[in-house]
Amino acid sequence: MTKVYCIGCGLVTPVGNSPSEVLSAVRAGKSAFRLYDGWPEPYYASLLDRKGFEGPSFFDHIALQAASAAVQEAGIDASSSRVGLVLSTIKGNIEKIDSEDVSLAVVAESLAKALGVKTAPVVVSNACISGLAALLQGVRMIRSGAYDHIIVVGAEVQSRFIVTGFQSLKALSLNPCKPFDANREGLNVGEAAAAMVLSAQPASENYFSEGFPKNQFPDTSTKPTLISNWEIVDGAVRNDANHISGPSRTGEGSYNALRYVLEGVSAEELAFVNVHGTATRYNDQMEAIALNRAGLQDVPINALKGIFGHTMGAAGILESIVSMKACDAGVVLPTHGFSQMGVEPAVNVSALERKTDKKAFVKLLSGFGGVNGALLFRKGGAR
Amino acid sequence: MKQVSIPSGASLTELYRKWVGDYPKFFKMDTLSKLGFLLTEMLVHDEPDRFTFREDRAVLVFSREGCVANDRHYAESMKDFPSPALFVYTLPNIVSGEIAIRNKWGGESSAYVLESYDEARIWEMVRQAFQDKCTQSALVAWIDCPSDNEFITNAWLVNKTDML
Amino acid sequence: MLDMENLINELKLKVIDALNLDGMTPEDIDDNAPLFGDEGLGLDSIDVLELIVLLEKNYGIRLASPAQGKEVFQSVAVMAAYVEKNRTK
Repeated sequence: MTKVYCIGCGLVTPVGNSPSEVLSAVRAGKSAFRLYDGWPEPYYASLLDRKGFEGPSFFDHIALQAASAAVQEAGIDASSSRVGLVLSTIKGNIEKIDSEDVSLAVVAESLAKALGVKTAPVVVSNACISGLAALLQGVRMIRSGAYDHIIVVGAEVQSRFIVTGFQSLKALSLNPCKPFDANREGLNVGEAAAAMVLSAQPASENYFSEGFPKNQFPDTSTKPTLISNWEIVDGAVRNDANHISGPSRTGEGSYNALRYVLEGVSAEELAFVNVHGTATRYNDQMEAIALNRAGLQDVPINALKGIFGHTMGAAGILESIVSMKACDAGVVLPTHGFSQMGVEPAVNVSALERKTDKKAFVKLLSGFGGVNGALLFRKGGAR
Repeated sequence: MKQVSIPSGASLTELYRKWVGDYPKFFKMDTLSKLGFLLTEMLVHDEPDRFTFREDRAVLVFSREGCVANDRHYAESMKDFPSPALFVYTLPNIVSGEIAIRNKWGGESSAYVLESYDEARIWEMVRQAFQDKCTQSALVAWIDCPSDNEFITNAWLVNKTDML
Repeated sequence: MLDMENLINELKLKVIDALNLDGMTPEDIDDNAPLFGDEGLGLDSIDVLELIVLLEKNYGIRLASPAQGKEVFQSVAVMAAYVEKNRTK
């Protein structure tokens, strides 16, 4: 099976736009959470700074910014007929509900045009697993042989539409969320954009380290350190076949997705599993069940929504990028907001940073509609 | 490969009474979900063991308009009392979930938005979905639902062997 | 008592409408029948949330949480008693 590598990343987050800035923020427990006035109920969120922005669509702006950064790092020609674009978002430009511009197809078309992508884009809108499903879609497109590179972008902006919706479901906490904690009481919403460029060729063929394309260093004696080649080994999406908004009590879909990606892989190989961890009572409990059923009860677990909040369409990509960078740094990131085990059976989650020398991890997510997804990442050359 | 469709503007309640009749949750669904649900019934109603849990069938729903018709209903309710029952359907993939729940299909379920009804692209993506080793068949649907009374639908039940 | 009867009937109509209980009439809902669970109308967690909205919209009552909802929505009779006691509209 063709290997698929991540050869470029782009981030737009409330705690920074460079992977090193973002990683430092997570390690320091620094977030951009604040209480905001709602319509009329207030809500606690991690939002991007719109100060000075005057364009027609902030969503379009951040998606383009993240995608452009990833394309630049990858050093690819986006206009090639062998380059595809996959966009992940739940509500896109929903604030434009009264116009044609609300359409996800329109958003994808403008993003493709702005990037210079000539092939027809596809939007993955699979609830909160969209980012992960979009990466899997990118992997499949490369494995089909029709593409050399796929730009996968995930983005979400918060709005009255989304916030009031989650408020009506009583799913939000007015306090910083507490993944897996005994006192967890709901999620916080977040905004971000994140992008990866996937390739059938590892990065070392294209460039030597972050932001330095190969053609800048023709003389190999001055070559900077090789960056790690992260491979997306495989992924799976599975439905609980149970309820459209409540997670399965047996963690059926999550367990089945884990089982698929871990076939032939030992739990000992994993540095960690980065989970969904929304801090709702039901989600975290469901994930604990699924992780235990899959034999992952001793593998370090972490969740990032205590820093970024729930970034919906961006989550799968944002959380995967941060996980890759953390693993590069030999670190299992702390689960900010966790203090006391609140799921049964227990999982190996910690509020403290841990060290690791392992070179693979699983990204796990769940979403409305009963969907669950898992992706296995492994550093190239690790096996 | 079986194929079905529901003509634009058809009475979904009548189709429900004809094909189903014993699933009251149907009436909570938005139009997009009702359409996907009914198209699936039309395709698998006489399949043996149809309610036995299986992981080998994917549900792949494609559209251009997504769930915009229901988004507008939710946005209306948002003006005074946001409705949770409407909000849960403001996702293009809930239709895939409703199909999975009814039929006990624990395999892949997805929703994709394409610029237009492009059969070549749809089949290319269905073929890509079969890269999942478990997937042996797929419920594929194009459901474009710009409003509750206007929709374009086409649905197929396809086996892996049909893709060769 | 007539007032309570009227309120119960009114609640049944509103519940049928809010929860899309197709084809049901107030006669089909027993005053004391459990609304949740298999023996009841088989309502689920989203229905609880929608009933919470119904109470606020029609009677100005704000429940604290879905957990409180499960108490109040045990049956139409229990709901009516609660509305009678707490309504602000």
